[in-house]
Amino acid sequence: MTLPPLAWHALMAFIVLNAILGLVAYVTLLERKFAARMQSRIGPYYVGRPHGWLQPIADALKLMLKEDVVPTSADRGVYNLAPIVFLVPCILIYATIPFAPELGVADLNIGVLFFLAVSSLEIVGLFMGGWGSNNKYALLSAMRAVNQIISYDLPFIFAALVPVLLAGSLQMSAIVAAQQGLWFVAYPVFGQLAFVAFVVATLAAENRVPFDILEAESELVAGFRVEYSGMKFALIQLGEYAHMLGTSFLGALLFLGGWLGPGPAWLGPLWFLVKAVLVFLLVTWVRWSFVRIRVDQILAISWKLLVPASILLLLATGLWVATRGAGAG
Amino acid sequence: MLGNGGGRPPRFWGELTQLIGAVGRAMGVTFRNLFRAPVTVQYPDVKRAYPDRFRGILALTYDKETGEENCIGCRLCEYICPPQVIKVEMLKSEKRNWAKTFTLELYSCEFCELCVQVCPTDAIIMLKTFDLATADRREMLLDKDRLHALGLAYEPSWATGNRLRDMQAPPKPARAAAGGAKGEPKEPGE
Amino acid sequence: MTTQTVEIGYGGSERLTMNMGPQHPSAHGVFRAVLTLEGETVVAVDAVIGYLHRCHEKLGETLTYVQYPSIASKTDYVAAMTSELAYVAAVEKLGKIEVPKRAQYLRVLAAELQRIASHCLWLGTWCMDMGGALGGGATVFLYCIRERELILDRFEELTGARLLYGFHQVGGTRYDVPAGWDTKVRETVDFIEKRIDEYEAMLEGNAFFLARARGVGVISRALAQEVGVSGPLIRGSGVNYDIRRAEPYSSYPDFDFRVPVETAGDCYARYRVRMAEFRESIKIVRQVLDGLPEGPISSRPGVKSVGQVRVPKGEAYARIEGARGEVGCYLVSDGGPKPYRMKWRGASFSNLAVLPHIIPGHKVADVVAIMGSVDPVFGEVDR
Repeated sequence: MTLPPLAWHALMAFIVLNAILGLVAYVTLLERKFAARMQSRIGPYYVGRPHGWLQPIADALKLMLKEDVVPTSADRGVYNLAPIVFLVPCILIYATIPFAPELGVADLNIGVLFFLAVSSLEIVGLFMGGWGSNNKYALLSAMRAVNQIISYDLPFIFAALVPVLLAGSLQMSAIVAAQQGLWFVAYPVFGQLAFVAFVVATLAAENRVPFDILEAESELVAGFRVEYSGMKFALIQLGEYAHMLGTSFLGALLFLGGWLGPGPAWLGPLWFLVKAVLVFLLVTWVRWSFVRIRVDQILAISWKLLVPASILLLLATGLWVATRGAGAG
Repeated sequence: MLGNGGGRPPRFWGELTQLIGAVGRAMGVTFRNLFRAPVTVQYPDVKRAYPDRFRGILALTYDKETGEENCIGCRLCEYICPPQVIKVEMLKSEKRNWAKTFTLELYSCEFCELCVQVCPTDAIIMLKTFDLATADRREMLLDKDRLHALGLAYEPSWATGNRLRDMQAPPKPARAAAGGAKGEPKEPGE
Repeated sequence: MTTQTVEIGYGGSERLTMNMGPQHPSAHGVFRAVLTLEGETVVAVDAVIGYLHRCHEKLGETLTYVQYPSIASKTDYVAAMTSELAYVAAVEKLGKIEVPKRAQYLRVLAAELQRIASHCLWLGTWCMDMGGALGGGATVFLYCIRERELILDRFEELTGARLLYGFHQVGGTRYDVPAGWDTKVRETVDFIEKRIDEYEAMLEGNAFFLARARGVGVISRALAQEVGVSGPLIRGSGVNYDIRRAEPYSSYPDFDFRVPVETAGDCYARYRVRMAEFRESIKIVRQVLDGLPEGPISSRPGVKSVGQVRVPKGEAYARIEGARGEVGCYLVSDGGPKPYRMKWRGASFSNLAVLPHIIPGHKVADVVAIMGSVDPVFGEVDR
């Protein structure tokens, strides 16, 4: 391109940001329709007949027009800053995802590391929200959240490192290029186990049922979000779904071959989107099928099952790669 | 595993396979439901068929042959109504009595059908509709004209006073044998 | 009591009083539990009720025997048929009023169909409490409501109403079976039997569900008998007591059914008892339909006036096996058309008394699981 690199990156960032916001809004509609069909009902229908196409826009408008209620005894600075601190890492992770070779904001050579590191920063915003609300329910939820997300970041990272080992690089485009022959999820045993561990860790890191003890609507009525209304709530919801979609993109990239697919090269981003949506739907399917488990049981699963299992898996993968010899690519 | 530690390997693997099986079954049920038709009835575009005995809003009726009002102002419905929403004033006349005013507070009505059950002339009935939503509660204070208009506008339900009483009464030969005349209201327990 | 091996100590002295207030997604109605928490563990429970008090017992004194059965359904509004049955059974016991055979069979049919519908609601709301309104719990809830709607459709064809029926009257029932209804009921019941298999597939053996339900909220046999719980709570703790067998009413001896009893006493045991009760109720419904005799549906003529029923002086207590336990009505009559005193024994009221004994020691998340398995309906608790 003839643009200077800074302008090029800024333009890409702008485009990606807007595209992601639109995509995230419509992914909520997809989840609602999918969940509704699994429950023998229809889901959004009337706003933008016949399938509720305008529902996300209506929701966004509604949240923008709502009154912003701030509790009197809330810690103002912390309370107001929390949604932003929560949202920024969730959007920032999209900076490193390449949607096609050469098409991305910044295809860092430590891409996966950046993604994993930044996505864990959301927990600061979460805790700020719980603390600043000056509400016992929110505080309880924030404490549970810190417990849970810290515990599940480890298996998340280890599971995400298995494709890194198999590809030999942290750069995301290199990982996709290494899947030209066979997607990583199809590798016997390692691939499937790593994918399963990744999905389970994603569920927990996203506070999705069965690990949504954080919000636990029937006990804590929305958890750390309980005191937020209007646009701040919209920012938190946006951050959650953006993070959800971002980890789906990561899963599609690490395990399902990213933009690789039949057809011409310009179809690549489309395949990538389809795969990411499939991962998202898989997570949604799990979410709508199970009851949640208690926080001590969640932590038990993580520390007693997932962390040892994922470490063992990583070691085994490393051993296999080493014995396969160099040049595995 | 969930709370009693890793345990010995055989129990662990057994539990794990059981978990995987259970997860698969649960997700299979939701997956199967994905392909079933939704059970939603999209009211008001689609209305479901109400059964014959549906207890909807109340109305007053006219006689089928003569076109006169059926209500004789006897106030039995007023006395039996548990939340006392019916208020009737009787107008006496030579051949028969009428209801001078008849008000029914539909916002407090319990829809128990007891008034329909006691009416000797099948004057008050229930309709097969409930669609009277309004933003002003005073519109649900039904007066006699309104009640008659509703009775003409909507389909009536099956139940009228005489039909209900015939359904509940012991069959005729038994009553004749027992010796009690039909319509003796205050018999003590048998 | 559960043995806590490792406690993340918050110094042990920092206790948080949290209100699981009357407005709460899983309060099963309006129920206030003031929980004292140490970290995540509940140390004490103070239950506050009375938010739904509507003076039923006073209403019982001001309404006649003809008017009150329609109102009685509003105590346990989820299982309205059994609530009305308690009242009319008490009046009939007082007045020594005969109920014709057909009416007795119809009452059993209504009560058992109602038990199925009530347990559908129980399962749905319990899973929703445990699984969240946005999650697997809501899925099970919607499935159960979908099945419950079928039964409510049958009741609508029978009486005209879906929730609060007014089906019973002193001396029998108010409505008879419409044409073609028994075929529809058979189809409904067959359909629901298959769907119960689906629910069990979703929940049985599911480690998440078992982790939430096993070992949680254990009511020991001694505690159950001491506190006075009834229904699935006492049968889940090993005591084989079902009023349909212990003091049969309304032709129950004519039917062949098993009373499910479990010994563990935890939420899972109560779940198994209720799931078995689904199938037993379906069995009873089929037997009733097969053997429904002809005849009148009431031994008294159709209602013609408000003071039609008078019972002689005396007092009587009638108890029936409702979906939640023993529902009882105690009537004192002075010979007039209205009772002198009516006292209502709500099953959920006595069942809730067990909460301060079993909740302390559990985590906050277990409180909702236990409340769900106790299955209170606050119309019965507060009356």
